[in-house]
Amino acid sequence: MKLSTGDRWDLIDKISKETVTFGAYKHTLKDAIGELTVKPMTGIPVAIAIMYGFWSMFGSFAGFFTDGFFVRLFDAYWLPWLQEVFPGQGGWLYAIMVDAGGIESGEFVLSSNCLESFGVLTSGLFVAIGVVLPAIIIFYLMLALLEDIGYMPRLAVLLDTVLHRVGLHGYAIVPTILSLGCNVPGVTATRILETKKQRFIMMTLLAIFIPCGAQIGIMQDVVPDLMGWILLYLIIGYFIFGYILNKIVPGKAPEFLIDVPPYRRPMPSNIGKKVGGRVRGFFMIAIPFVLIGCALVGILYQLGVIQFLGDMLAPVFVGWFGVPAETAGPLIAAFLRKDLAVAQLSVIEMTKYQMITAVVLVSIYFPCVATFAMMLKEGWKELLGSLAVLTVVVFAYGGLIHLIGKLLGVA
Amino acid sequence: MKILLMGHPNVGKSVFFNRLTGANVTESNYPGTMVDYTKGWMKIEGEDVEIVDVPGTFSLDPKDRAEEVAVAMLHENRDAKVISVIDASKIERGIYLALEIIEEGYPLVIALNMRDVAEDKNIVIDADRLERILGIPVVSTVAIAGEGIKELVSRLKEAKPINVEDIIANAANASNTESVADAGGAA
Amino acid sequence: MKKKLSEMDYAEQGTVTGIEDDLRKRVAGMGIRVGKKLRMVTKQPIKGPVDVVVEGAETSLGLDMAGKITIEVTK
Repeated sequence: MKLSTGDRWDLIDKISKETVTFGAYKHTLKDAIGELTVKPMTGIPVAIAIMYGFWSMFGSFAGFFTDGFFVRLFDAYWLPWLQEVFPGQGGWLYAIMVDAGGIESGEFVLSSNCLESFGVLTSGLFVAIGVVLPAIIIFYLMLALLEDIGYMPRLAVLLDTVLHRVGLHGYAIVPTILSLGCNVPGVTATRILETKKQRFIMMTLLAIFIPCGAQIGIMQDVVPDLMGWILLYLIIGYFIFGYILNKIVPGKAPEFLIDVPPYRRPMPSNIGKKVGGRVRGFFMIAIPFVLIGCALVGILYQLGVIQFLGDMLAPVFVGWFGVPAETAGPLIAAFLRKDLAVAQLSVIEMTKYQMITAVVLVSIYFPCVATFAMMLKEGWKELLGSLAVLTVVVFAYGGLIHLIGKLLGVA
Repeated sequence: MKILLMGHPNVGKSVFFNRLTGANVTESNYPGTMVDYTKGWMKIEGEDVEIVDVPGTFSLDPKDRAEEVAVAMLHENRDAKVISVIDASKIERGIYLALEIIEEGYPLVIALNMRDVAEDKNIVIDADRLERILGIPVVSTVAIAGEGIKELVSRLKEAKPINVEDIIANAANASNTESVADAGGAA
Repeated sequence: MKKKLSEMDYAEQGTVTGIEDDLRKRVAGMGIRVGKKLRMVTKQPIKGPVDVVVEGAETSLGLDMAGKITIEVTK
């Protein structure tokens, strides 16, 4: 027999009366902290402080290992050694695997660092291990810590007001933050949202506006002083287009209903397991994609495809987005490897604002293939929908950024 | 035999799972969704038993994808036994979910977990009496410290389907009987 | 004094006296039900969610939902 909700509670009341005694409940320090971090007056400053701390830890840890260790390792030892021993210098295989080099006063010259060489074994490995690995480890470590002590639900409560305006609700912060590591688990985490509409909005916003750890790592490395502006443009875009999507996507955007568990002492074993699993998962996806993407970009350059497309599309890039014609190549290559594209962009001569525009463009267009495969699980209609939104966003938002730049007189 | 570990999120279900199973654990994706769940194996009295860590859910009326999967997994395993993990400090809403599962006819064992947290909050639970009223094994546990896990496993064989009408009758009886020593049941 | 949960002030307490039908099942799993004591912890500004404690468990729910729950406020 099944009971109605009311009858079931009546029965529980009877059982509880017979078996449970509730003594006087005394407020503990933990409760007090719990409440302070969820009340807006105190909770919002704390949230900002935590996010700021998160960001500075991320920057300094990743910077310490990347600049302090891997850059030296790769540029001073690995690259020169490979340039020396890999056969067929100047040939196409050499260019793809080790160093595409450059032409200076009519002579072939080798690259001096792993961000310019564009070989699978040089740039590819350097990006994967030297840049992304430290970034991803520190990122997931700090996130696991916040999750394990039970902070995330409170952050969700504080952010619900704004996220509900874009058709989501507070818990959407979980897939959003996860995506800053890698969009794939981010897309997976959209399962905590109730309706198809909410999941569609979330996935589309993640795929477009949330740069993954690989990209953030490389941006942090090559354009650190512009990070703030780039992220600001991405966050603004997230909310503008979220708001529009909420208005035009059919379906329901139900309200937030979540349990806010008490804080608890973090368990190292828990955190270790979580970080280990996520880092492993990331590398299963990222390493092959970085290396294969790198190889494909190399091949397309060798075949002249990227130069051809670049020349063809350069007027669009220059006219509509206001970036120099030289960025066309990297912006095309970004379809395959966003991180390498950012590295390529960083060595092109242009104004700060053009650089911001170009990097934002790289971030918002075409999510990585792994994310695509993941989104396909939700359904091909959703995927096509996301693609359509993506196309509109790239042109509309890219144009808008250009326009803002013009109005400010900096573009 | 198959055992489903069910309960609210954050009741220590995964800690149970890790304590029960050894290294042989696989994470799988529930077909057609992006929801993952873990399963593993343990030996109980020589028999290989499959343990499934079902995604946390607050009730059998799902409100999101993860909860939908939890309910679907329950319904797909009609012959499974369920370990209902309850946060002892939030016992009433825990029993709500346990009752829902009992009403669907599943044999159930209740793990009253986080007993220590409940005690800190001055909540005292008469587990024996609860067991007599519900007619199923109720074991107090502190999964993080490994307390009560052995007893829970040893009592799994006592789990049997219970008619909720019996529970209603037991509850009415219990309130009429001052002395509970002879209230009958699973003792 | 009876109030809607959405209208309760910070730190007020009371007993749940009514939950609209369509919401009753949805909040049942969180332990929110008629007859239970409830304490308002906080609410977020600009129509944000309401944070309550029932049976020692903290739940945060949207303002529209909170409007479907009536409370007899005791203090």
